[in-house]
Amino acid sequence: MVADADFWLTQFLNGMQLSMLLFLLSIGLTIIFGLMHFVNLAHGALYMVGAYVGVSAAASLGNFWLALIAAPLAVTIVGIFLYVAVIRRMRRAGPMNQVLVTFGLIFVLVDLVRILWGDIALGMEQPAILSGPAEIFGVSYPAYRLFIIAVGLVVMVALSLVLSRTQIGAMVRAGVENDAMASCLGINVERLFFAVFCVGCALAGLAGAVAAPVFSATPSMATDILIPTLIVVVIGGLGSLGGAIVGSLIIGFIQTFGAVVLPGFASVLVYVLLAIVLIAKPAGLLPARS
Amino acid sequence: MKNHLLAALMACASAAFVANTAHAADIKVGLLLPKSGPYAALGKEIEDGFNMALEEGGKSEDFKLVTEDSEAKPQVGVAKARKLVLQDEVDAMVGIVSSAVLGAVRDFVDGSKVPLVVANAGNDEATGKNCSRYITRVSFSNAQINRPMGEWMARIGVKKVYTLAPDYAAGHQMIDAFAESFKAAGGEIVGSEYTPFGKTQDFGPYLTKAKAASPDAIYVFYAGKEAITFVKQYDSFGLKKDIPLYGSGFLTSPLYVAAEGPAAIGVTTALHYVPTINTPENKAFVAAFKAKFDRAPSEFAVQGYDAGRVLVEAVKAGATDRASITEQLSKVSYSGPRGPLTIDPATNNVIQNIYVYETVADGDGLTQKMIGTIGLVRDPANGCTLK
Amino acid sequence: MFYQTPLKSVTVIVILAALALYAILGGYFAGEIVVEIAVLAILAISLDFVAGYGGMVSLCHGAIAGIGAYTFAGLTALAGFDGFTATLAALAATAAFGLVVGAVTANISGIFFIMATLAFGQMAYVVVFEWKALGGDDGMSGVSRYDFSAIGLNMNGSVEFALFCLLVVLIVYAVAAYVLRSSFGRTLIGVHSNEDRMRALGLSVWKHKAVAFSFSSLLAGSAGILAAQHTLFVSPELLVWTVSGEVLIVVILGGLGTLAGPIAGAALLVFLKQQVSDYTEHWHLVIGLFLIAAVMAGGRGVYGQVEHVLQRKARSDANA
Repeated sequence: MVADADFWLTQFLNGMQLSMLLFLLSIGLTIIFGLMHFVNLAHGALYMVGAYVGVSAAASLGNFWLALIAAPLAVTIVGIFLYVAVIRRMRRAGPMNQVLVTFGLIFVLVDLVRILWGDIALGMEQPAILSGPAEIFGVSYPAYRLFIIAVGLVVMVALSLVLSRTQIGAMVRAGVENDAMASCLGINVERLFFAVFCVGCALAGLAGAVAAPVFSATPSMATDILIPTLIVVVIGGLGSLGGAIVGSLIIGFIQTFGAVVLPGFASVLVYVLLAIVLIAKPAGLLPARS
Repeated sequence: MKNHLLAALMACASAAFVANTAHAADIKVGLLLPKSGPYAALGKEIEDGFNMALEEGGKSEDFKLVTEDSEAKPQVGVAKARKLVLQDEVDAMVGIVSSAVLGAVRDFVDGSKVPLVVANAGNDEATGKNCSRYITRVSFSNAQINRPMGEWMARIGVKKVYTLAPDYAAGHQMIDAFAESFKAAGGEIVGSEYTPFGKTQDFGPYLTKAKAASPDAIYVFYAGKEAITFVKQYDSFGLKKDIPLYGSGFLTSPLYVAAEGPAAIGVTTALHYVPTINTPENKAFVAAFKAKFDRAPSEFAVQGYDAGRVLVEAVKAGATDRASITEQLSKVSYSGPRGPLTIDPATNNVIQNIYVYETVADGDGLTQKMIGTIGLVRDPANGCTLK
Repeated sequence: MFYQTPLKSVTVIVILAALALYAILGGYFAGEIVVEIAVLAILAISLDFVAGYGGMVSLCHGAIAGIGAYTFAGLTALAGFDGFTATLAALAATAAFGLVVGAVTANISGIFFIMATLAFGQMAYVVVFEWKALGGDDGMSGVSRYDFSAIGLNMNGSVEFALFCLLVVLIVYAVAAYVLRSSFGRTLIGVHSNEDRMRALGLSVWKHKAVAFSFSSLLAGSAGILAAQHTLFVSPELLVWTVSGEVLIVVILGGLGTLAGPIAGAALLVFLKQQVSDYTEHWHLVIGLFLIAAVMAGGRGVYGQVEHVLQRKARSDANA
């Protein structure tokens, strides 16, 4: 294949863009997993809700940036409702029951979205300032995609700082490492979980709203994104920020470069990789608990 | 014991059947359409169009409808088709959005001799080597829509084309038909790629690759949410200004073009129906559809409409049961919203015009500007031996 | 430990008899529904065998059944083998696939195991989807049912086929119960409750798990063979992970680790789906709410809940 440096740089940016989107979704999921051993399959459905709220907010408020605030807020409210009604009671129900309940939640949320917004995919306009291509390292690349990469990097840095430098972060890390010990030390693990859960919801909503202008909002996005996100979480190792970062980058780049180099096998590559990682390192690459 | 019961059941069933056919006015039709899953929107369009045709023909009272959700899954589709035929004893079936479902029910429909009016699924074999007397298609075949576009693009001077489509049977058929006629007319395919079907959200990698091949134009087939995503990403990567985008018309279907927004402006595609066809029949149809549903009809709504219309025409011509409906369907011919529509007796596929149109801005919204008509496109028999 | 309690026997026999009666009396579509229930029940029993008694929650049992279906369909429709040979080959293929998956995932547990099996299932899906000789994404038709005309049975009849499928459910249940009561089954349950202890006792744990998974896959394969004969058609849709998810729902709805519960769960889910979809196209919503309610009500599943109540009553009676 004839391809120059610009070509590969563009593909690199494509990989980064996908990775950052996966990161926004997987970080919430993995910390909830790690902190409370809670398997929340409805995380993808929250991402879908975020996209739809983003589309509606952008249309009615006429402002992309307000939509970007409205979506995480709305999804957090949905999340709090789910938490109070369902998830809090399922905390000690065992992973099988959690999987089933959150599987049921996917059905419910997807059909509610279909009732409220219809079956037809909805588009969302990019803000004018980000609509054209931008020059970066000498190649022309969609400005909006650079914005997605930037959002992902900002969240990544912010979370690293919170987790490593603040008291809350120390509490979360303690909770992930050993929740029984953490509660002995006077940490209210339940409240901590709730806070982390809300942040996870907000990030899923943000990811949905950020993704909507590129991918448009559809009911199927709830399950489409679920499997790649779970794969990121599992490859990276439950509960670790580093794992989510590494996992997102691996999956984002495998999908992007798989599509370029081995088009016929792009869809199977990720699963092969997942199987190999799990066979070699059954707890993922960077598990939070040693 | 069991045999007695069976015999009794069979007797009841055949009695019901006789009762059905005794009243000429009472035609029972099974609608087999996706009501859930990614194709649900298409199912709704088709059903709306179908009901409109019955009302317009003054036949709503005469038709009894049984609706089943195919979920667009072949396994489910077969089970539901069998239910419609064996339990509900329908006189005809209408619908089928997914080609995989059509392929799955084909043998059963053929064997049970129940007329099926296909209102979307376009796989070439269904009116080619796997054709059946009992399967009549009023929608399109994959080749029918794309073959004319190959010649047309060569004629307007496009020389080098790169193609993209999802990696499944329909994607390959659409592109193959285009590529064949484009090459026959002197064009060159400089590269082609098939993207994982239904799983590709990010076309960035493929678009970057297509651009690197520096073609005169890109020709694609995408539908539904993939179409929306593709058109928007094509624009955002800045390809549109250098490399014009062509495709089969599902890419910029009225059903999805609003979600695509300004990114769709300038995209040129071909389809068997466009809402802006300038005929009295179509204007009346569009006005009636808008009055009823408050939206412009898409090609899917028209397919549903024509599926209903051919049944109405068959009944008007005296059809009363499975055999006579089958008989009459192959003789139907009229001028409808999409122009002249005739059922090809050699394949049972529709013979129709294909329209080349460009999506253009119209005030705040988008509309379809007609730029060419390829009249009465008829598929070759492709191994079908109906005649 | 697994005991074939009277409650289990009664449950299995009553449900199967009721379904048989329904198939005979209910007309054509009743037969179709019973076949659907039977296929799902076999899959759920096979999954319960490894998940409920071996702790291996697989998310690839749908794909395994699909491998069975495709092997059977390919050998009969394309290669012209007879139904009996094709059945043996299909069971062998699923057992072999299960052995490989079971062996390489033996050290993985919990959510990681679920994801690893998902990966293998999806790989099988992609292979079938891309395999043009098997029809690719279009699927493959031309499958025919067993020919029992020699003994006067027309398997193309809806009722006959439904009754045959119910018989297979009974056989699969009996075989699974037999294996669970054998020393192999007791060892499997031992591994589930304490893997380290079994290892300390000198058991080759991974081998045992692999064989158990292989056996479960073989049972799942029989469901696939029936599914292929049911619609006379196979498509890659059979192998998608959501099918495996549905099987998991059935197991939990019926009662994980009860073996009889999955049969009840399958009947419940199929009937529920059938009833609700007659009223609304948003039947997913209703099923979802039902699932949530069912789990939050205790999570033991329908059969598990009954068993639990009866046991508690028996205990309080004994104490009194």
